[in-house]
Amino acid sequence: MWLKAWRESRVRFLAIALTLSALCAFAVLFEPYIRQHQVPIPLHLREGSYTEYIYNLIYSGTAKGLYALLVIFLGLGGLQRERANRTAGFTLSLPVSRLRVIGNQIVVGTIQLAALALLPAILIPALSAFSHRSYPLPVALHFSVLWFVGGMVIFAASFLLSVVTPGEYTAPVACYLALVLHTFVAAWHPLSGYRLNLLSNMGEFQTMRWNAEHTLLQPPPLSWPRISVMAFFALLLLSAAIRVTNKQDF
Amino acid sequence: MMLLYKAWLESRTRFLLGLVALSGLSAVFVLFNHDVRAVVTDQNISYGEYIWRGIFKGQLRDIFVILTLLLGLGGLDRERSYGTAGHTLALPVSRWRLIAARALTGIIETALLAILPATLVPALSPFIHESYPWRLAFQFGALWTVGGILIFAIGFLSSVLFAGEYSAAVAAIVLLFGYSIATDLPGVEHYLVDIHDVMNGSGPHDVTTLAAISIAAAATIWLAGYITSRKDY
Repeated sequence: MWLKAWRESRVRFLAIALTLSALCAFAVLFEPYIRQHQVPIPLHLREGSYTEYIYNLIYSGTAKGLYALLVIFLGLGGLQRERANRTAGFTLSLPVSRLRVIGNQIVVGTIQLAALALLPAILIPALSAFSHRSYPLPVALHFSVLWFVGGMVIFAASFLLSVVTPGEYTAPVACYLALVLHTFVAAWHPLSGYRLNLLSNMGEFQTMRWNAEHTLLQPPPLSWPRISVMAFFALLLLSAAIRVTNKQDF
Repeated sequence: MMLLYKAWLESRTRFLLGLVALSGLSAVFVLFNHDVRAVVTDQNISYGEYIWRGIFKGQLRDIFVILTLLLGLGGLDRERSYGTAGHTLALPVSRWRLIAARALTGIIETALLAILPATLVPALSPFIHESYPWRLAFQFGALWTVGGILIFAIGFLSSVLFAGEYSAAVAAIVLLFGYSIATDLPGVEHYLVDIHDVMNGSGPHDVTTLAAISIAAAATIWLAGYITSRKDY
């Protein structure tokens, strides 16, 4: 069952991993080049310290947006798709419960998500050393935790939508629109104080602070209550997906 | 006509979801502009600039780009997974006609999505005692249509190159992202137009550029058709 879940998602996972790795490597190794020439990043990124540059391009910018967008496709799973492929009957005839079938998909997806969230934390400090720069590992890991938990919410929403919607591309379109719409809802005046924007939370938007020497852009300590709420919400969505699958008639 | 209907049935959910989202958000951007301004910018800007930043250049354009990319997906490779490719190929029409019907449907849907904000913004603005020029809105509508068709073509080509479930979607996004980066690289920028800049009006958008983009889109769709006609299903 593990192998089945892995084989179903490996192309997507590897494509996302390769893209994120390429982007991180490009950002770090071509930093002087990017700053000197016309580049695919806004003008203001060409100034400022290295940590600010990495934060703006990776943790709060292009890479984070791309990660959030691609995680939607990683989350697409469930038995509904198999019905379209006419393999649902075969899968359901295996001597395992439905819970195990989609439970394995969820666990494999979670591991893949963790690996993707960790990628920048491994690559950026490691590659920075090659270019005689340094990026603090604790800061990189801080964002990995946020990317993982934020990614879990997107993954869970995508998984639930792929369980409840029949068309192959309906779920990703619906999930993407939900992701966009939630940013507007979160910015709505009565709710703006609660910091509900998932993408802002993943990038520590407006909470980053400079150190005393103004050389390092640092995130605040991890907000565990906020992380717990995000994790709980992801679990809630995944539980709903399991419940719906158990009740579905294939 | 039946082929167009088939292509419509295959893509209508994605299209209608996009239609509802784009029209809903266009209305929200205009009718609740005082609340949404905080999302778009923290600066005090004019209504026209706000519309440009939020809709024709900003969030709504990003949504349009992703929706158009996803509209391009589907086709015979996916039908092979569903076991319906044999049925479709048994129809008394050439593969080129199948491709053409799918492409035409997608292009019409893309154009409709592109024109939607351009129609709603000037139409709804008087309700909040503001005005937005129809001519300017339709200029953006035209730019979105031309740029959107090229983005649709990228998704279309991906659907032919990558048969795996959702692999085409991931590949299309990565291809578009790679293209966007490549257009800004020194040396390349002179030869490759940044479609995003063209769509938001900050890049070149003369007739020659738009014609070149249209030709590139047509060539991409033709390439997808050529690959399909040679594939063994």
